[in-house]
Amino acid sequence: MSASNGVFLVVLAVGAGFFALNVQRLVRYMRLGQPDPRTDHPLARIRNLLRIGIGQSKIFRDRVAGPMHATIFWGFMVLTAGTVEILIQGVFNGFSYALLLPRPIYAAYAFSQDVFALAVIAAVGFALYRRLVLHPRRLEGDQLEHTDALIILSMIGGLMVTLLFANACAYLVDPSTVGPEKVVSRALAAAIAPMSARPAAAAAAFWWMHALLILVFLNYLPYSKHLHVATSLINVYLSNTSGPGTIGAMRPMDLEAEVEQFGAADVEHLTWKNLLDGYSCTECGRCTAACPANITGKPLSPRKIVVNTRQRLMEKGPRVTGDRMELAHPRLAHGEDSGAGATTATEVAADRLLDAYITEDELWACTSCRACVQECPVSIDQLDIINQMRRYLVLSESRFPEEVQPAFESLERNGSPWAFSPADRAQWAEGLDIPTMAEALERGERPDILFWVGCMGSFDDRAKKITVAFARILKACGIDFAILGQEEHCHGDPARRMGNEYLYQMLAKDTIGTLDRYEVKTIVTSCPHCFHQIGNEFPQLGGHYEVIHHSTFIDRLLQEGRVPLRSAEGRALTVAYHDSCYLGRYNDVYDAPRETLRRALPVVNLVEPRRTKDRGLCCGAGGGRMFMEERTGKRINAERTEELLATGAETIAVACPFCMTMISDGVNAAHADVPVLDIAEVVAGELSPNARSTT
Amino acid sequence: MKIAVCIKRTPDSESRFKIAASSTAIDEAGLKFDIDDFASYAVEVALQLNEKQGPGETVVVAVGPDVVQETLRKAMSMGADRAVQLKTDAVPYDGLAVATALAAELTGGGYDLVLFGKHAFDTSSGIVGTATAELLGLPCVTAASKLDIANGRGTARRELEGVAEVVEFPLPAAVTIDEGIARPRYPSLKNIMAAKKKPLEVKPAQLGPVRVSVKAMDLPPERPAGRIIGEGVAAVPELIRLLQTEAKVL
Amino acid sequence: MPNVLVFAETRANALRKIALEATSVARALADASGGGEVHAIVAGTPGVSSVAEQLGQYGADVVVVVEHAAFSNFDREAVSATIAARARSAAYRAVVLGFSAQGRDVGPRVAAKLDAPIAADVIEIRASGDAIIVKHPAYANKVIATLEVKGSPCVLSVRPSAFTPSPAPRAARVENMAPAADPGASRVTVKEMIEGGKGRIDLGEAPVIVSGGRGLKAPENFKLVEELAAAFGNAAVGATRAVTDDGWRPHSDQIGQTGRQVSPQLYVAVGISGAIQHLAGMRTSKTIVAINRDKEAPIFKVADYGVVGDALEIVPALTKAVREAKAGH
Repeated sequence: MSASNGVFLVVLAVGAGFFALNVQRLVRYMRLGQPDPRTDHPLARIRNLLRIGIGQSKIFRDRVAGPMHATIFWGFMVLTAGTVEILIQGVFNGFSYALLLPRPIYAAYAFSQDVFALAVIAAVGFALYRRLVLHPRRLEGDQLEHTDALIILSMIGGLMVTLLFANACAYLVDPSTVGPEKVVSRALAAAIAPMSARPAAAAAAFWWMHALLILVFLNYLPYSKHLHVATSLINVYLSNTSGPGTIGAMRPMDLEAEVEQFGAADVEHLTWKNLLDGYSCTECGRCTAACPANITGKPLSPRKIVVNTRQRLMEKGPRVTGDRMELAHPRLAHGEDSGAGATTATEVAADRLLDAYITEDELWACTSCRACVQECPVSIDQLDIINQMRRYLVLSESRFPEEVQPAFESLERNGSPWAFSPADRAQWAEGLDIPTMAEALERGERPDILFWVGCMGSFDDRAKKITVAFARILKACGIDFAILGQEEHCHGDPARRMGNEYLYQMLAKDTIGTLDRYEVKTIVTSCPHCFHQIGNEFPQLGGHYEVIHHSTFIDRLLQEGRVPLRSAEGRALTVAYHDSCYLGRYNDVYDAPRETLRRALPVVNLVEPRRTKDRGLCCGAGGGRMFMEERTGKRINAERTEELLATGAETIAVACPFCMTMISDGVNAAHADVPVLDIAEVVAGELSPNARSTT
Repeated sequence: MKIAVCIKRTPDSESRFKIAASSTAIDEAGLKFDIDDFASYAVEVALQLNEKQGPGETVVVAVGPDVVQETLRKAMSMGADRAVQLKTDAVPYDGLAVATALAAELTGGGYDLVLFGKHAFDTSSGIVGTATAELLGLPCVTAASKLDIANGRGTARRELEGVAEVVEFPLPAAVTIDEGIARPRYPSLKNIMAAKKKPLEVKPAQLGPVRVSVKAMDLPPERPAGRIIGEGVAAVPELIRLLQTEAKVL
Repeated sequence: MPNVLVFAETRANALRKIALEATSVARALADASGGGEVHAIVAGTPGVSSVAEQLGQYGADVVVVVEHAAFSNFDREAVSATIAARARSAAYRAVVLGFSAQGRDVGPRVAAKLDAPIAADVIEIRASGDAIIVKHPAYANKVIATLEVKGSPCVLSVRPSAFTPSPAPRAARVENMAPAADPGASRVTVKEMIEGGKGRIDLGEAPVIVSGGRGLKAPENFKLVEELAAAFGNAAVGATRAVTDDGWRPHSDQIGQTGRQVSPQLYVAVGISGAIQHLAGMRTSKTIVAINRDKEAPIFKVADYGVVGDALEIVPALTKAVREAKAGH
């Protein structure tokens, strides 16, 4: 070991030590959050890690930035091995993996380092070009983020360049130290040979520059959005957004707990996982670019929600833990809307994440469509933060848009979010000879299936037609089913989506009581919200039922040939199907409705809107927004309807009564003459005449 | 200010009603009960007045059997400080009998303001508030659509038919509250929990003699199914005729 | 033979329609109780005695005139005290008045002063021995309650328009009476009267609401709705969410799920299709009239009387007809 080794050792110790202290600090901040058990289902988690993390599956959803980032990421993973080698070399001269690995493996390794370094340079070059020349929209707006990104890209580029130059100069000094597999380094050596007077000095210089750059880069991470490099794979492993467990189920909540407040108003009310999400956000903006609220001009930006969470944690963390390693003015380094940060201790104490950073308007603008969660390459759950904060607003402060209050009150009093008498609930069934569970029980019967109608299907004039259409299909297929009739009331999902967990649990538990009383096992429903709630969230409260959405059910019946269709030749009907968020992104049901259309219609031409399937744009009614006024920007349903009409379809098909309302309104407002039909109505319209008369 | 609000437990106004077997009451099976709508506006007005005017006390009073305690707790979850149940088996239809019980409770209580809903959904008579005020000897404004209190005096607006009056009165006073003045707040879970611990006193109700009693309850004659009575301008005379003779609204 | 006292309500020293209705009711009650007299008591500024003859036309045997300069505005305390004093001065079977804004003030006060049982908003009256049997709409018009009122005198306030004034002419004797309480000592004083124009009837108060929707085609056409409302005299103007969103009308006019919920005696829906959110706001109205060019429109399912056609043509014709019908009152 020489003097320079000693110096390097000290430098390394300082660099690594400083980084370790920062890690400890960040972990301490993270632990200000609430508990959140994530040790379950390790195999499922590893699968996610491999697919989403290592495999970059979500990154590739952007056809341009995808390969670019994947190159840099895979490059980084591969080059990490080299980085370790270099750091060891700094302490023990002449160290090389060649000493440990069999020759062919070392050659492959060395080749990979070289080739990936070049690939990364190319990718970085493109990234800079994209940022500085192409100006993609989702990267616009935040000057600090922009600066941060340029620093990172420059450092990455610098690391690659110094590495290649160090190798090249080393080759010029002693060709035997750089094997033939290092094609790029050798080629570079040939190119710079004429210019290098003192290759040894240059080699050493580049080596030191590279090593120092590694340590600088490492220590820049905690102060930059590039922290995701350290946390993203861990975050993907620990996330529930792609499972394990039910996707899209809202976090359960214990209302009996003795707590000061319910829901989250500040970072210590969120869980450590939400805070880790904050660390892992790269501010890529894919979530915001997919957000229907943001697209139509509302103040909500899912990226901002997450960045604000990190920002607030960086602001509050030091005050709570007392450490002094955070920058004096954290807003200098940490992202979006940093101008909002407090600077004095009093301000920090008086502020909180809610209001000072994230406003009510942002939180209420969310339609819970899950597009943000779908897009996030590091599996951040933006929706979880929004939901916890909504819970705080409603349960702790009773703050919500005033038009929501009648919906809450009506749910409590009438069991439906609209002021309709519960006595009217089964009016649609008059004359259709459909038994209620109570009637069936009286006759000693136990129907196979409960048809859960839902409030829209029971009270809304347009949706009632969907209910009747589906009932006719069930009858035509001879399905043994019953309805709850007046015993049905809202399961509470709208209340839950709007943050009113208390009202939700009251309604849900009562519903479970009724379902269990009738020993219901299988439920079929024509509303995706009912489908999701009863099937995926009721288990949290002890309700376990098999729930099938009517599109899946009808598709099955069609596949089994049980639906008596009229055999008609018709001209090809061009249909655009609008994906319901709660069927699609929440429950992965994209094909059943389409297959239903294909099987039922004699000749059909299915056209897809520009944003479709898991990229489908929300109709705007989810997340309780059906019960709220839309006061800012363009109407979400208008935006979506434009897209659907642009397909030139003759008919628009939907599979959700909320979508039905929103898209129909959109078509009316656009003065277009395109019918909007539920897939049940489409199928019912194709029933053979004698089948129809059996109702 | 020390404000008393008299509230009533009534069924939800959206309900469809059936007549009970006794035929002298509605069938309560399946009905949801809550604070009467107008009474809840009165509670909200009281809370807002005390929020605006500095520390005060809002007391809610209700006549009825123990089930009325739920309703009192609901008012406390909105923010009322304490509650009094004037216990009786059934609330008489006789408004003056109820007013007598309320006056007996409120007298000598030192209340600056006594508030009521303009009328209760079930009896729809608007008697109790004004009668109680009279028994207490308080100045009373009936059906106030605006209310302001300052310096021991009150100003209220009240709608007459097609015209409105603005009146002034000294405190202590009684006011019955019309809708449109205030939207009753939605209790947060936090407040619902807190209300469970607030004081609720139970006393026997000193009702006056019951001289108005229900002999029968009936559903109104079936509304004829809606019908399209005609087309275009030609239908107007028939419409007028029907509004005058059948619907009796013109 | 007991007499019946009736409080005949006036405004600007002219009898309101409800006064005539109440007087006819008092007359019928007196006749059914053995033929006693009807004593009508009126309060107003000097000159109000001129209504005596009209009261006589509808069955008043005696008109008790209470004149005072301070009665230019309604003095609820002095008027109530005076009615109670008169009621005490002789044996009356009942005190009848209208269930109007004034009546809501006066009735309960008089009942408390007299310790007399009171039934309000009555639509039918029948004498039955010592008691009086009345019917009145309870639970927001969803149930009709039949009540037995025992005690003499009792106080009965009648629902406006539930009884038809019927002539029973005689020459009424006029008696003058001084207010039983000093109007100067009244604690509730009227500071200001606000005429209909600015103090528009609140949607929740209005017995009649005329509402407009997209079927009106353009914001200018809303004046047709306003004119129809004005023709009714006591009507408020409402709107659907569609037109308030488009800015044709202020949001405070919106009737529906996220707007006001109303329950007037008469709801006239002009150019409104009847979407669920709107229906949620008005379906408990006692009588619903719908005017829409689409006969399949959902509003026709809830309307008692539907007229299919172009609102822009029908509404002006209806306005004219309503004005003519009202001119009779």
